[in-house]
Amino acid sequence: MDLLITIVLIAAIGLLCGLAIYIVYISVPHKVPGLKKIDEINKLLPGMNCGACGYAGCFAFAQQVVNNPQLAASASCPVLLGDSHVVKQLEVALGVTIDADAMSKKAMVRCTGASEQVFEYTGIPSCKAAILIARGFKRCPFACLGMGDCERVCKYDAITIDPEKRTAHIDYVKCTGCGLCAKECPQKLIEMVPGRTTIAFRCNYPELKNIPGRERCENACIHCRKCFKACRYEAISWKKEQAVPEFHPEKCTLCGECIEVCPNRTLEFFKPGFGK
Amino acid sequence: MTDLLAIFIGMALINNFVLVKFLGLCPFFGVSKKLTNAFSMSMAVTFVMLMASAVTWPITHYILIPLDAEYLRTVVYILVIATLVQIIELFIMRTNYSLYSAFGIYLALITTNCAVMGVTLVNTDEGFTFVESMVSALGAGTGFGLVLVLMSGIRERLEISQLPDSMKGLPVAFLVAALMGLAFSGFAGMV
Repeated sequence: MDLLITIVLIAAIGLLCGLAIYIVYISVPHKVPGLKKIDEINKLLPGMNCGACGYAGCFAFAQQVVNNPQLAASASCPVLLGDSHVVKQLEVALGVTIDADAMSKKAMVRCTGASEQVFEYTGIPSCKAAILIARGFKRCPFACLGMGDCERVCKYDAITIDPEKRTAHIDYVKCTGCGLCAKECPQKLIEMVPGRTTIAFRCNYPELKNIPGRERCENACIHCRKCFKACRYEAISWKKEQAVPEFHPEKCTLCGECIEVCPNRTLEFFKPGFGK
Repeated sequence: MTDLLAIFIGMALINNFVLVKFLGLCPFFGVSKKLTNAFSMSMAVTFVMLMASAVTWPITHYILIPLDAEYLRTVVYILVIATLVQIIELFIMRTNYSLYSAFGIYLALITTNCAVMGVTLVNTDEGFTFVESMVSALGAGTGFGLVLVLMSGIRERLEISQLPDSMKGLPVAFLVAALMGLAFSGFAGMV
């Protein structure tokens, strides 16, 4: 008798539970319009949830894009822009045109890390902590300290730390332009430059005045303006009050003359293998 | 009223599910790496605990006890809680999508969370009334959330501290959990 009750009870409750799920399944209306479409877009996205697009994750971005396709053309996922194949699929799925070239970005460390080390730092291994003591352990107060905050935050393994020079190196090819490292760097050294950039200017010293320390760095910009004078294509402009030259990649012919004349090798081509 | 408060404190602190009863240890170590994740997990667990207690109480008192089949409660509770979570998930997905994505994977994970199962079993064991079992579920959820949030705060700080390689990650989390357990044992006998 007990056995019978057990069997009937379990079977009845099981059936009831199944029935309850089924009733809810058919009775609650499908209130999410375009869920299928969102899912389709979501599959095209990288799925790393890096947040570079400005939304909480890939799925949130997909939701926004489905509601407003024009969004993809103005502020798209910077990671995705590197892959022309996926961009095409996204264009077809959304019915918009995406100018991937204009929107893609790359992270560039605006420091070669060549500044001399003035003391040995043995505290918490993080740039954020190291910078609190005498503005870092390097002579230049704006130098890359290379404690790897950016390396840890990169989801694409694009950043490596050179342990000897104590500086970060970003792989041009692996970098997707998500901008996580730029947000993380306490020195604000990492700049998100447009993907079309041809010449990298690798000094972050922001002032015109010569504060002691600049002359000790072998890659520091000394404001000699030789690059500005050497450029025959007007691709470099340098206003008097500015501390750094301005580059116009659309006029640059990649002749490399500015790089040759730079006395401290502050300038470099911005291309695959850059910074090595 | 004092009884209810005693039940709440008892479930939240004195008989804390994680540190005293050792229930729900998987989320305690798995989801306590980030404060935000820990918070949403504990919210979801509290919610499901409340719902599960509300559903299992009538089942116990109107089906299992009259039929003299209380020994079946474990399997029945598993069945009912799993169904309940499925229904809630479906309902939230269809009605409030942003809430659904905020819950994310946690809601589905809770289906098999032993802390949820534990609170329903404790309610039956103690012979709580409906209101009492709701309060006890709330207390259990609060205690679970409290410990999870404390743990994630400690673990976020541990991330940037210098540890021997062999201690990084889970080993030091176990030690921290042991110390927290010791601290919580100080609540014993409070009520």
